[in-house]
Amino acid sequence: MNITKEAQDFLKNNLTLEDALPTQMPVYVNSVAYLFGVSALSALVLLILTGTVMSLFGPDWYHTSSVGHFVNSLHFWSVQAMFAMIVLHLISHFFMAAWRDGRWKTWMVGLLTFAVSVFAGLTGFLLQTNWDSQWIAVQAKDFMNSMGIGAFFNPMDTGQVLTLHIVVLPLTIMAFVGLHLFLIRSKNPVKPLPIKQDKEA
Amino acid sequence: MNKQTQEYLRDIPMKPYDLLKEGLIVLLVISGVVLVLAILFNSPDYPAVRSVDVASRQPILYLKTSANILAGNSDLQGYGPPYTPDTANAQQVFGIAPANWFGVTDPINPPQDLVLAPLNRVAKLNSDVATALQAYQAASPDQQQAWVDAYLAALDKATVSSGQVQIPEGDYGPVATMMDGMLQLGQAGLLEGTLNSADNVPYMLNPTLSLLFFQDDVDQQVANSLDMLGGQWGMSHETGPYPGAWWTAPASFLYQIPPMSSSPNGDLQTGLLLGLVFLVMLFLPFIPVLNKLPRWLGVYKIIWRDWYQKQRSESKASGYRPAEHSSASTD
Repeated sequence: MNITKEAQDFLKNNLTLEDALPTQMPVYVNSVAYLFGVSALSALVLLILTGTVMSLFGPDWYHTSSVGHFVNSLHFWSVQAMFAMIVLHLISHFFMAAWRDGRWKTWMVGLLTFAVSVFAGLTGFLLQTNWDSQWIAVQAKDFMNSMGIGAFFNPMDTGQVLTLHIVVLPLTIMAFVGLHLFLIRSKNPVKPLPIKQDKEA
Repeated sequence: MNKQTQEYLRDIPMKPYDLLKEGLIVLLVISGVVLVLAILFNSPDYPAVRSVDVASRQPILYLKTSANILAGNSDLQGYGPPYTPDTANAQQVFGIAPANWFGVTDPINPPQDLVLAPLNRVAKLNSDVATALQAYQAASPDQQQAWVDAYLAALDKATVSSGQVQIPEGDYGPVATMMDGMLQLGQAGLLEGTLNSADNVPYMLNPTLSLLFFQDDVDQQVANSLDMLGGQWGMSHETGPYPGAWWTAPASFLYQIPPMSSSPNGDLQTGLLLGLVFLVMLFLPFIPVLNKLPRWLGVYKIIWRDWYQKQRSESKASGYRPAEHSSASTD
């Protein structure tokens, strides 16, 4: 088996250059609902950029430097923007029944991305190393312990939380987002629900 | 465009599009919004609870916290896995207790690890504490309990004068001296370091013990003053006017309603319900009735209104009625 040839065939069948970087789009793709996903992706880019800057200086930086605090503020509002856009993306694609015509994998990977993002958000709040993180840590530990997760994840262990937040979870999110984008571009946007239903309604 | 997509979109008119331009414009807009929000509102950074502050400003509360842990009254006592072997106390639903599945992975003996171990360090520097600690450890468990209970009762009548805690006379044995040692440790700001220092490496990356030390009365009082208790939608909001993890509001909502709001198994009940909701959402494409909801709700008519208008105009113009071009099937 020629693995390279197989990869070429896979891409030809699933993700051509026009799929990956489209220069045309079906005319029904004409709503603000289509912007929530790319907005969430943009916020994720900002999160990675600001998070990378913060990781260069360490977790205490934002407590002791006004520049650090400002970068932390950018990171904080990027999180808010990302979740706002993810939730709008999720709701709008639910209303569009966007899982139709073989797009169930795209829906599921999106949901899994959301779940990992919620966990990443939790670790971010735990890393603030202020009152909020103290309170969230002691509260979250009861939830984690009750579910049996406490044996593997201790929200009060800042060292574990830090490594999860800046390495494991971003890589997981990026992998899921990459797969989500691949599925989106491979399948292209789902058609509108049948016009017949529209007339009957 | 791949063949499958060409086939799928064969009846659909296309329009010019520039993915990268759209992406860059959205990135610029989101960056601008985030920048403005960061400049205008900054970000929250409410000061952490520190032993030095509690011991200095609320010495009686600090002493009560220490004595309660020593007396075995803390929430941590008999908590169950992963901290203590009391499996009967683990949260359970229908006899299922996931906390017990993996046993005690992070063993904690609250009186020993949170009070006596720090006092052993203090004893190296303070001979009075060393003598008191020796006397306490030589006494019977009943005697130890009697001393600590008497001391705790006396703390209810204690006063603070010129920064000094005045406790009524009583038979506290060595406990009063031990608690003085704990207070000095806190006032010196050394409690966290003493609790969190690891046995084998001189680094402190895990503040579990110091967080657990203050989790009862001290944290509860601070949280109450900031409307952050569980019954006040707890973790889903930040201190002050800032939005917190509002996306966890569904979880916080579950904590507000029975049986989760009052059950000792509330965390597990909430966790299982959240897990169920997530699974329903994950498998929504395959769940009959639920996967038809978007059709019945009809919001799609607003999202694709331009498309439907175009279809109607073309139908009127040609007298042709477009056929259905999509199903609600999942595949």
